[in-house]
Amino acid sequence: MYKLTKKDWEISENEVTSKELFDNRRTFLKLGAASVIASGSIMEALAKEKMPIKNLKFTEDPNPNNLILNTYEQITSHNNFYEFTTNQRKVKDMAHTLNTKNWTIKVDGLVEKPMTLDFDDLLKKFALEERIYRFRCVEGWSMVVPWIGFELSKLIKYLKPLSSAKYIRFETLYDEQMFPDQKNKVFNAVDYPYVEGLRMDEAMNELTLMAVGLYGSSMPKQNGAPIRLIVPWKYGFKSIKSIAKISFTDKEPLNTWQKENPKEYGFYANVNPKVDHPRWSQARERVLGKFFKQNTLMFNGYEKQVAHLYKGMDLTKDF
Amino acid sequence: MKYLLFVLFLLPLVVTLYELFILQSVNDPIKYIYTVTGVISTVLLFSSICLSMIRKWVNLIKYRKMIGLFGFFYAFLHFLNFTILDAQLDFSFIIKQSLDKPFIYLGMIAFFILLFMAITSKKNLFKKYNKYHKLIYFALILITIHFVMAQKSLTFIQFSYIILILVIGYFKLLQQIIKRNTI
Repeated sequence: MYKLTKKDWEISENEVTSKELFDNRRTFLKLGAASVIASGSIMEALAKEKMPIKNLKFTEDPNPNNLILNTYEQITSHNNFYEFTTNQRKVKDMAHTLNTKNWTIKVDGLVEKPMTLDFDDLLKKFALEERIYRFRCVEGWSMVVPWIGFELSKLIKYLKPLSSAKYIRFETLYDEQMFPDQKNKVFNAVDYPYVEGLRMDEAMNELTLMAVGLYGSSMPKQNGAPIRLIVPWKYGFKSIKSIAKISFTDKEPLNTWQKENPKEYGFYANVNPKVDHPRWSQARERVLGKFFKQNTLMFNGYEKQVAHLYKGMDLTKDF
Repeated sequence: MKYLLFVLFLLPLVVTLYELFILQSVNDPIKYIYTVTGVISTVLLFSSICLSMIRKWVNLIKYRKMIGLFGFFYAFLHFLNFTILDAQLDFSFIIKQSLDKPFIYLGMIAFFILLFMAITSKKNLFKKYNKYHKLIYFALILITIHFVMAQKSLTFIQFSYIILILVIGYFKLLQQIIKRNTI
């Protein structure tokens, strides 16, 4: 007969710290530390600790330009996601209503075979890589983010658009149950669904990324889970979040902000310190977490890779 | 009461400094300072013109000067945020922006009206200049436009503020008409 006995190194159940307490031990320690001294360096160390679990496999970006990353905390608590609210600080707490399970992307328009992509299949199909990019918002703030994703060009090659396709158009999911501001019919911040687009050569550029995560972890909901576009040389609003539809067209798509206010926002929206927003200067930017501003770079520092796309264009007119 | 109000009006400044330097919880400090100082200043300035309308029920007229001066104080911090942190004391940039951009010059004109009023609020000067203090209404109109222009898109909350401002404006106008007719 097998007898249940306790080895002497085993401890009894009631001596074990409950899982809940154990999981919270760091928070508890932090509270203690914060109340004793709330100096900058300690807060910085704590911020570094608020890291997600790395659940994605990817090749690392060696960061040759030594860009200084913003913290995970900063990147995930300062978001423009108008489907929730225009308040950047509140998006984080509201984004839980976004349900990304069984996410699909509809593909239509000028393409060999219209189809519906399954998000989980995309992760299996395309190898992921880290891309550390500058991110510059049209409002004047900026950050550096280690995105995880795959090049949009790879997806486009897989989808096989027709040669008549000159533009690619993206749509954010429309679902009033998930996005509270989509329920607003009169006082909505913008018209939904949110639309963005790129010229085909812009979309095929090696910098253009379909991002599925950041800091090695799946895309946080407030940053546009499960999959979003990243076009690092353009203002942030071009980098559409939570993509549910991709269409290939021969006409320049009317993107959401251009539709809202064509005098202030264009189709191209390239980062350009020499072309001001009508209401404010774009010459400098506020890096998140910093009190002082830094100079904004032409094409956000990606002039070498993308300037050729706009040869002969008047960037003050095609802003 | 005066001391209580003094502490109350300083509170937003103290809380903001605490968030900025102790908690370090603010991602976009310059923007945050704009928002806090702008909102507090606007609320105080609009409150100051409402005191004469509610005099029948609660007479707070003796605090009007203090409320107005605090409104100016927060506008001054707003102005310093623009010149020191945002423009980094680049005076050619400040002047160029102030001349080029309606958003900036509307705010600037309003600020200089408030500055003028703050200086001439001293007892000896007030006698001579108080008739010019009607300029506050002009400044408040500019401030309202400046506030609307600061938004990327107007949502329900911002429309509510605008409606509240229009209601205050309506009652203020009514008050002026009645006053004129009785004189």
